[in-house]
Amino acid sequence: MALTITCPVCGKRDGYEFRYGGEDKGPRPDEEGLTPENWCDYVHMNDCVAGIQKEWWYHRDGCGVWFSTHRDTTTNLEISDSEVK
Amino acid sequence: MMNRLKNLPTLRVNTSEKVSVTYRGKQYEGFKGDTVASLLYANGIRIFGRSLKYHRPRGLYSLDGECSNTCMQIDDIPNERAENIPARDGMNIREQNVKGSAEKDMMGFIDKLDWAMPAGFYYHTMHRPAKMWPVAMKQIRKAAGLGTLNQNFNRHERFDEIFPKTEVCVIGGGPAGMAAALEAADKGVRVILLESRPWLGGFYEYRTSVDESGNFLYSKARTLAEKVEAHPDIRVFKHTFMVGAYNNNLITAFQRGGETESFHERYIEIRAQSVVVATGCIERPLIFENNERPGVMQAGCAHRLCRTYGILPGKAAVFSIGHDTGLEAAVDLFDMGLKIACIADLREDGQDPELLEKVKGRKIPYYPGRVATEALGKKRVTGVKVGTIDGTVEETYTCDLVVASAGFTPVTGPITINQGKLKFDEHTGFFLPSVLPDKTHVAGRINGLGNPASIEASGKLAGLRAAAECGKDLTGEIDEAQGELNDLPGPQRGSKFVTGPVSGRKSYICFDEDTTIKNIKQAIRKGFDVPELIKRYTSAGTGPGQGGIPGHNLPLFTAKFKAEENEKIRPTNQRPPLVPLFLSTYAGTNHDMAKRTPMHDRQKKDGGIFRRLGVWRRARYFSNDFSCRKEIENVRNNVGILDGSTLGKFRIHGPDALKALQRVYISNMEKVKQGRVKYTAMCNDDGCVIDDGVITKLAENDYFFTTSTGRAGSTVEWIRYHTRFDGWDFNLVNLTDALGVINLSGPNSRKVIEKVTDQDISDQALPFSGVKEYTISDDIPVTVMRLGFVGELSYELHVPSSYMESAWDLLLEAGKEFHIKNFGVEAQNVLRMEKGHVILGQESEQRTNLTDINMGFLWYRKKKEAKTVGNVALEQTVNDTGRLKLVGIKMKDPSRAPGDGCVIVDDTRVRGYVCTIRKSFSVEGVIGMALVEQPLAKNGTTVFVYEDECKGNLSEAQVVPMPFYDPEGKRMKA
Amino acid sequence: MVDIIRRSPVTFDKRPARVENRHNWNVVTEFADEGEEGPWITDLCHKTRWDVQDGNLMSLNSSDLPIPENYGDCSLSGEMAVNRMNRTQASVWHFSDDAVQMPNQSAYTETTDATVFLALYGKNVFSITEKLTNLDLNGPDKNPPTLVQGPFSHVPCQILVVNKDGEMPGILFTCSRGYARDMVHAVMDAGREFSLKPAGEDRCKQWINQIL
Repeated sequence: MALTITCPVCGKRDGYEFRYGGEDKGPRPDEEGLTPENWCDYVHMNDCVAGIQKEWWYHRDGCGVWFSTHRDTTTNLEISDSEVK
Repeated sequence: MMNRLKNLPTLRVNTSEKVSVTYRGKQYEGFKGDTVASLLYANGIRIFGRSLKYHRPRGLYSLDGECSNTCMQIDDIPNERAENIPARDGMNIREQNVKGSAEKDMMGFIDKLDWAMPAGFYYHTMHRPAKMWPVAMKQIRKAAGLGTLNQNFNRHERFDEIFPKTEVCVIGGGPAGMAAALEAADKGVRVILLESRPWLGGFYEYRTSVDESGNFLYSKARTLAEKVEAHPDIRVFKHTFMVGAYNNNLITAFQRGGETESFHERYIEIRAQSVVVATGCIERPLIFENNERPGVMQAGCAHRLCRTYGILPGKAAVFSIGHDTGLEAAVDLFDMGLKIACIADLREDGQDPELLEKVKGRKIPYYPGRVATEALGKKRVTGVKVGTIDGTVEETYTCDLVVASAGFTPVTGPITINQGKLKFDEHTGFFLPSVLPDKTHVAGRINGLGNPASIEASGKLAGLRAAAECGKDLTGEIDEAQGELNDLPGPQRGSKFVTGPVSGRKSYICFDEDTTIKNIKQAIRKGFDVPELIKRYTSAGTGPGQGGIPGHNLPLFTAKFKAEENEKIRPTNQRPPLVPLFLSTYAGTNHDMAKRTPMHDRQKKDGGIFRRLGVWRRARYFSNDFSCRKEIENVRNNVGILDGSTLGKFRIHGPDALKALQRVYISNMEKVKQGRVKYTAMCNDDGCVIDDGVITKLAENDYFFTTSTGRAGSTVEWIRYHTRFDGWDFNLVNLTDALGVINLSGPNSRKVIEKVTDQDISDQALPFSGVKEYTISDDIPVTVMRLGFVGELSYELHVPSSYMESAWDLLLEAGKEFHIKNFGVEAQNVLRMEKGHVILGQESEQRTNLTDINMGFLWYRKKKEAKTVGNVALEQTVNDTGRLKLVGIKMKDPSRAPGDGCVIVDDTRVRGYVCTIRKSFSVEGVIGMALVEQPLAKNGTTVFVYEDECKGNLSEAQVVPMPFYDPEGKRMKA
Repeated sequence: MVDIIRRSPVTFDKRPARVENRHNWNVVTEFADEGEEGPWITDLCHKTRWDVQDGNLMSLNSSDLPIPENYGDCSLSGEMAVNRMNRTQASVWHFSDDAVQMPNQSAYTETTDATVFLALYGKNVFSITEKLTNLDLNGPDKNPPTLVQGPFSHVPCQILVVNKDGEMPGILFTCSRGYARDMVHAVMDAGREFSLKPAGEDRCKQWINQIL
């Protein structure tokens, strides 16, 4: 309820308006030569950091754009890009 | 009615307007502006109810609903805080937790049995032997709780919600809060001010003492309030209780509606950039024997009863106080006509000399270093023992009122629930905020300030700081305001924590839960020796008043008893809601927002029985025969018409549209042609099927596709998610609501369409899997797809939603001679099941992949470069024999169908489950589909179905080939 | 005989005083008892709407279709509102009574029937909206006309703040057509304490012209 997310199009909004898209794990790997383990890592394994995490959000109730942002998972507060080391 | 003091400038009751309420079946009168509590008190009611555990008589103690003493049943609603509820004509009021009456409670004897009920006695007595617990539980349940619930009670009041916008939120409308609000608003930011009482003014509001310039505090409060309420950038919410504070300064509160408001209670949610907490202080209860006996009350309570409500709280009083405000109250009440037998002041020194002069001048006996030790009187106060703290002197006084107040406690709930931290401060004797939540400021008495000028200056400073956080450059002004505050008197010295020389057996630290000093000692001896543990063991502070009454005394008593330093001790946490509120208030307006198709009203009129399906309302049946036999047979024999508007419908276009489709659809989308529809499916990264539908090409890199009803809402999000790293250029348009869908099915369906269009709809012109634009009745553009979900000759007509009803009417009129009739979602469910067609979510669950449900034929494996979602996982499971397979089953007993979802078992374990199963009218017997382990998936295998109500008798079924109906598909391709 | 009618999903519990048939729509131009004091709500579902999407959206910018440069901006005229939604997308709301011809280019999609289109205007409008959404529609940072995309009574909407100050504040908004009835119910319910009334198209036109 208290979470806010800053959409690059619409600005700072209530967390309810967004859909969480998971940790940022980079683009889909090439299928050629992909082992089941690598695939499983990509799809299912997460870092679950206690701290600042880059993650994806979708502005479902707003402009309909996917974007990534940084959030401190220990405080559940968004971190502005300038604060990210 | 008791004589009221009239014409006091501080009065908040209108003595010319009467209010009449019913209490215990009798009429009582009061004035407009009275609370239920003040009205009853004015009528001589002293015992408002009985306590939770020991059924002790309880009366008016504070005036802000800080404890459950005056919780009453008002108009059938239990646990209403009579001190906060304005009295209204016709209210029906009852006391709570009594057998008989509050005055003569037959359960009152329990108070004498307290020795048998030590702290935590439920936990360690009632469970040995174990058999005793159910018996004991019944008795305890009967005794527990305060009010009673009328089972037939229905709430008829209106609850709503509001999201007011602001930059600064000020909590508390006393002098500090008002000063902060004015200062911030003057700097050009929007301000919201929340005040729990029905008026602004706080600590000044009822006081007749004067500030340095000689202004009465009450008139100062009113001047400030006028300014605040007139300010265009300040929005005041009165009679509004703050209940929660969260990350990013989300403040939640609720407002009680007055007689003119449109709501009973209104939930308020405020997202503030910065917050000022100016909640002031409540009084700290004095701990002595029978310290909650009716007739014992706090100084502010006694003072406000007189000044705000015009009620002299008693005839003869003894004051046992620990602060100057108590002295001030004594002097003022004396002047108003209260006899005062003596004032015991637990402080040896540090009193305001001016006040002492006034006490002396009135010849009120005054004893520093003394304290009340025991209130006398069985049901209400008839006297009090007062003694020195060391117990060397003790005197008894006759009185009907004991004004008892040990000191002040800052109201820090709004800070601690938002992760602020507190630390004990020796000088003030307060737990002061040591770590504040982000962008939060405190002002006024919460800091220990008592001097009016200091209170206002600290409010001003907090207001400036809050405005600065909203982007205003105020560095200079902040420094100046800080300097101004520094020159004024700082925090006042607080009174020491003191308990009289008594055993504590009847000294209550928490009124709500009947927790005594003795109970706390018991808990500590058991090893529950820190406030958080004591709270859980004794339940002190868990009642409706939350930490209000025991919040300060519990940690300090613990420290004293354990001979620890105060610095080491932490008060217990408070949690939202800080003030009790109705769940209906949290629920707010609570509109059910669901979608209706363009045919909603018509289908309702036609007898449709609706069910919620995802975001939609859909007609499931058209008669009370839930087997839908008539609807099904009419589709099989004539023609049926179904509203399929809830299907997801999308257009995708742009240079990379095909690439995007190849990514999310499991088939080879290069094969999608104009004029033809292709059935295909989407999987997730585990290869599990999430959606199916048809797609057709409109032009190069321009497609129209449908999704299942449930997936429509997340289709755009899904496609964009899985292409988010690719930078592809494609566009998606959600047309789900733009088009209504008519499903026309049955052998006569073509004949019906022929009648409404001049264009050719023959099998040659529109073969199975064809799609074509038609115009019906000259005006209505319709896309017609020829599909076969239900296994008959069948058309899906996509009609602009605004034209939908007209198109439907045209078809009904044309179909009359062919016996056209509605069919609903359940009939369609049976029809397609007979045909062996799956519905995702019914024939699949989260773990079911594409090949499990025999849809592997859709899977195109040779597009690795497309990185199709689901492809990798499907390849990994393709030789996995441990997966469930979808099969057709037929029950041995043709007379009845088990329920959907029944499990298939053998002697030892579950081997699968039934997806959909029905008694079929189109083919013989009870048939259905089931997901079973692979060894059971061979045709002819006998499987056993377990039902909840089967009492161990399993039903036998056989795995049979699908489809059950028209296996060659001649009918749908006719 | 079946009448060929285009139907709006919106119904009000008030008697229409004047109705006009326009391209198969029965348009209510005036309701009974509209009163002279707002606030009002007007059904504009019959107005043509388009979705315009393109990877290079500004290439479609023209005097016929002035697409704003910045997200959230709106080109508002008596003819239409062009709302910039994001990098690739704009919504076009026509106000004209005449049939509008959509350009035959793939960037355009007709979305008239995809949404319900409502106007909410007159005094106390923002006292009504604050009961329905936590979006700050009239905050100091808003310079109307401006588009806010967000929830209204929990349903995603496109809200065009047309005017926030003065005598005639108001918004135009759209949401999925299927929500029409529940949305109108929620708005009417929130507006009851401010005597929100349904008004015909004429009054809405007047309002927009007054602002322009």
